[in-house]
Amino acid sequence: MSGTQDTQGLVPAAQALSRRPSLEELRERKDRTRRHLEPTGDVMTISMGPQHPSMHGVYRAVLDLDGEVILAVRPEIGNLHRGVEKLCEHRTYHQIIPLTDRLDYISGFAMNHGFCEAAEKLMGVEVPARGRYIRTMTHELCRISNHILWLGTSIMDLGTQTFFTICFRDREYVLDLFEMLTGARMTHSFARIGGVAKDLPDGFDHRCRKVIDFLPKRLAEYERIIKQNRIFLKRAKNVGIFTSEDCHAWRVTGPTLRAAGIARDLRKDEPYAAYPEVEFDVAVEYNADVYDRFLVRMKEMRESCKIIRQCLDKMPPGPFLAPDAAHSLPMKKNVLRDSAAMIQDFYQVFRGPQVPRGSVYRCVEAPKGEMGVYIRSEGGAKPARVRFSTPSFYHGQAVPALVEGEMVADMIAIFASVDVVLGDCDR
Amino acid sequence: MGVMDDPLRRPSDAEVGAALQQNEVMGGPVRLPGGIALPVQIERVLGFGRSFSFWPLLFGLACCAIEMMALGGSRFDMARFGMEAMRASPRQADGMIVAGWCTIKMAPRVVRLYEQIPDPKWVLAMGSCAVSGNVWDTYHVVQGIDSLIPVDVYVPGCPPRPEALWQGLEMIRDRVKQSRHAYDGLRRIPAREVLLHGEPRP
Amino acid sequence: MNEGLDTSLTVVLAKLEKRFGGRLRKQTECCGDLTITVEPEDWMRVLSFCRSARELAFDQLDCLLGDHLPERTGAPFEVVVHLLSHTHGHRLRVTTPLAEGQDLPTITGLWPSAGFDEREAWEMYGIVFAGHPDLRRLLTTEDFEGFPMRKDFPLRGTVGGRIRTDLRGKI
Repeated sequence: MSGTQDTQGLVPAAQALSRRPSLEELRERKDRTRRHLEPTGDVMTISMGPQHPSMHGVYRAVLDLDGEVILAVRPEIGNLHRGVEKLCEHRTYHQIIPLTDRLDYISGFAMNHGFCEAAEKLMGVEVPARGRYIRTMTHELCRISNHILWLGTSIMDLGTQTFFTICFRDREYVLDLFEMLTGARMTHSFARIGGVAKDLPDGFDHRCRKVIDFLPKRLAEYERIIKQNRIFLKRAKNVGIFTSEDCHAWRVTGPTLRAAGIARDLRKDEPYAAYPEVEFDVAVEYNADVYDRFLVRMKEMRESCKIIRQCLDKMPPGPFLAPDAAHSLPMKKNVLRDSAAMIQDFYQVFRGPQVPRGSVYRCVEAPKGEMGVYIRSEGGAKPARVRFSTPSFYHGQAVPALVEGEMVADMIAIFASVDVVLGDCDR
Repeated sequence: MGVMDDPLRRPSDAEVGAALQQNEVMGGPVRLPGGIALPVQIERVLGFGRSFSFWPLLFGLACCAIEMMALGGSRFDMARFGMEAMRASPRQADGMIVAGWCTIKMAPRVVRLYEQIPDPKWVLAMGSCAVSGNVWDTYHVVQGIDSLIPVDVYVPGCPPRPEALWQGLEMIRDRVKQSRHAYDGLRRIPAREVLLHGEPRP
Repeated sequence: MNEGLDTSLTVVLAKLEKRFGGRLRKQTECCGDLTITVEPEDWMRVLSFCRSARELAFDQLDCLLGDHLPERTGAPFEVVVHLLSHTHGHRLRVTTPLAEGQDLPTITGLWPSAGFDEREAWEMYGIVFAGHPDLRRLLTTEDFEGFPMRKDFPLRGTVGGRIRTDLRGKI
């Protein structure tokens, strides 16, 4: 399967209601909701961030205002830049994995996964079935924890303090699963080249099912709280309309693109891991505003629960790491029992994987959008150039296009709705 | 002077009084208008009160900020200790939690935020990045926040669990109760050094 | 050479070859990715063709990045562009070699999302994009000296940057 399919093919007929606006209608709505003021002498310039409670990190936006209307925005990023890409050139492929989950620390495994997919494509490593299923499951858990955090903080930005604590209550259950599976709550460097680091622990299946069973009920509770909240509706409906062509032009992907009516999801369009073997729907909404981005994420969490359940049902037996002595680490439990595994471990740790020359680009659907990894190798254990084209980098860039002409207060809602994380943005 | 030997030792009242007269040492007893210094006992009472309403600055840099939020969330519930009121304005805060790596682009801002917090103030360096720079030994990262501002408590971890941060905050509360600050006995605050001379002196 | 390619990418390659013929420097294929190397002079023409031609229709720029290959003495720099077509679902990589100090026309007119990418390529490698609306440093401090992603730039130590002290009113 390749390419973006027509949205009608993927969306159940019941949802394909007549309220779906066309691109022209969306353009017209966008034009209507934004004010196009001529810059007069009365322009006030204010600096928002980097220390601002709703900037989700240290994003700085310099706003030119006429009254309360935003005339221009100059984003300034880099406050968390730490040279990950330069550091990657000095690390072997195995050592890069812990660096990647500090890119987007809220969805660490998605970043691990993206890098490992790219490295495996370059090395030609085949991941065994169990490894692929564990990866898919962890990726979806990651998506749930990311979206719950997003929900809590973005609704908090709109003024609901209590909702934040409700969201964090449920996020902790997902983090418990992570802790059981990987040992860490957030930055779990769990993916390995050729599979994952550990097998599922005893009792994981049972606990995971319990969480997956009650999460949809909690999601219904969230929707009950938010969908009937007049303040939220007023602040989210028809605010920050961003059509699909704007999304393509600014490389805005993920839930924001899907809220604009495009059923683009790399899990379907360029499948990887075990996604071709599980059934799920791509969450699509059509109004391209803040409210629909919220709906898309709620749907996505439900779909993630579905995917995790299928993964647990179908979890195949067998090894979880590729038996590829040239590129991947051995299973840790074998290292002290089997001399071949021990040699492989020494070789991989001290020399690193021997990688052919070439360059490769691979995209995965991280919770925030499409995360691409470019690796150029000149042979040897270290890459010659690594580039992470992370979603937040482009979402942070698109903020001027998203908010110009809107009110200052709406900038908070819009900025929260595209989900920018600065560690991801600055790299 | 003996005050300089061990920055964690609480200086004796005589030493502080002498140093204050020379305008050299930060901190020390609370002084009322007119230059009257409050006795240490009264300051202890104030510290006891402060320790139950410690308001940190709502300031997150990176991953650790998410764990800091988790501590404020429902399971760990920082509100039990009177710390749930995270103030977004440094003017209303009692201290700051530096949660995450600090880059040289961010450093002047961190210093400015620190300077805007009114005395007395406490600083907690959360996470290996704020403590020592962690793996980010690169061209754009400050290797440890204590080269910029005096740090009271270090919490290592990448990121530290909320329980670890909680313990760190308990240690801060002990220091609040005893009115001990990281800048006690420091002739120079590294942040001021940066602003005056360009970089902290070794 | 082109056995591993998708049919849609074969169409892309044929179309580009028909339009530009011998102007394309070389095409390589690695792990199913098609790479086309062009001369810097043809950069704008090839990319606007990729954007506008109906069979190609690359409507999204996935990323633009700079690269440094010091062993290639004549043209040590490289700019790599990844394109994606939402209509057809295919991807293409276009690269161009650059000498030290050689300019490249900006492609922000074709894809606005190239803005940050080009600024980053400039600050990291010193590749100038002529006509870029706002070519300032993006990630590092404004007064950073040197181009940190070049291979000869040291990884450790604050070599290029310093902590600004004169920003009291500006931060």
